[in-house]
Amino acid sequence: MCLAVPAKIVECEGDQAVADLHGNRVRINTLLVPEAKVGDWVLIHAGFAIQYLDCKSAEETFAVLEDLEAAVAAEGSDGTPNR
Amino acid sequence: MARRTVESREALQRLRVAAAALSRPVHFMEVCGTHTVNAFRCGLHSLMPPNVTLLSGPGCPVCVTAQGEIDLFIELAFRPGVTLCTYGDMIRVTGSSGSLETARSRGADVRVVYSPMDALALAASEPQRQVVFAAVGFETTTPATAIVVQEARRLKLDNFSALASHKRIIPAMRALLDGGQVNVDGFLCPGHVSVVIGSDAYRPIVEQYGLSCVVAGFEDVQIAAALARLTELARDGVARLENQYPQAVTPEGNRRAAAAIDEVFEPCDARWRGLGMLPHSGLAIRTKYERFDARRRFELAEPDRPEPPACRCGEVITGRCTPAECALFAKVCTPVNAIGPCMVSSEGTCQAWFKYRRADLKGRASLPASRVG
Repeated sequence: MCLAVPAKIVECEGDQAVADLHGNRVRINTLLVPEAKVGDWVLIHAGFAIQYLDCKSAEETFAVLEDLEAAVAAEGSDGTPNR
Repeated sequence: MARRTVESREALQRLRVAAAALSRPVHFMEVCGTHTVNAFRCGLHSLMPPNVTLLSGPGCPVCVTAQGEIDLFIELAFRPGVTLCTYGDMIRVTGSSGSLETARSRGADVRVVYSPMDALALAASEPQRQVVFAAVGFETTTPATAIVVQEARRLKLDNFSALASHKRIIPAMRALLDGGQVNVDGFLCPGHVSVVIGSDAYRPIVEQYGLSCVVAGFEDVQIAAALARLTELARDGVARLENQYPQAVTPEGNRRAAAAIDEVFEPCDARWRGLGMLPHSGLAIRTKYERFDARRRFELAEPDRPEPPACRCGEVITGRCTPAECALFAKVCTPVNAIGPCMVSSEGTCQAWFKYRRADLKGRASLPASRVG
């Protein structure tokens, strides 16, 4: 339940923002990270941004996800696990 | 080879090297439902050396919620004029009779929300309804509730209230250790709770109990690396506080989030499944915000209800027994027909065992009596 996910802010007005969550756009509240601005990465939980993330670590997280997707795709193509 | 695979192998290798030098078996405990489920999902338990065990503690907020509290949610949902909004996690948890899901099928107005802001918006759009946001959760989740209560006060939304059953993780860790029923050599600390409370919050556990606390992220690599670090510290015979999730966790935490909690809530004694009444382990809405406290508005008193007969969830979430030792597990208690909350919750230890370890359970008698972790 206490899982938060990284997302990139694409619109921001006052304490309301829209974040790009791996292709989905979600409305979030930024009261807990008041310095967040467009282009920043934040951790979101239950519609609230709860922490700033530096760009590098967020992109690393997505690199991991992309690795995973690549591994799954490779597994699917020839039927053998990719190790 | 994918970088993640390389890093996972390195972490596991470090874990094995440190484990080989241990003078006795060690047991670490995670106190976060997401750690529970991710450790199972990636098969970490099966890759760990036999002398290192990862136990699941009271980290799934649904699972630690006492039976009486669940009954309170259901009872309130049936009150005339009430719309009860809650997170999806709570909807199927069974109380003494039925769940919020069955309450809905019997006519109660129960809605699942992603954010408490959705409940607030509903209250604004349906002024004739009494909208109650009912929530469980640890410190990651509490600031969101705190903010909507403040917003409700600011907007004078008198048809909105919160039935908050939030809990605090540190008092639960202390209670486990003070109870003396669980033997742990260190804690794998929850990444996103720590975003709010900060890694320094665990310092008293390290200093007063002499146990290492390592804050960990949620990827398999991060969990494995934190376990490797805990094992190295155990091998070296030292107790340390380490933050292995610095991308998101700072020593002091998110002060605004902590301040939002403190503005709306004050610590109170709270009842936990498996642990009983623990001092200062819960959060009550302060008098300043009493108009938005559903307990006061609807004059609710939490009944002390017994847990389901034969259900051992209370022992499972305190590391005192494994799901395999429960007579109900995978027989009468399954995810489809769950008796206890640890089987209902997608983060519950019993559901994780059911999904990922059932193959090991054929010939249950051959399992070690405990510490299967």
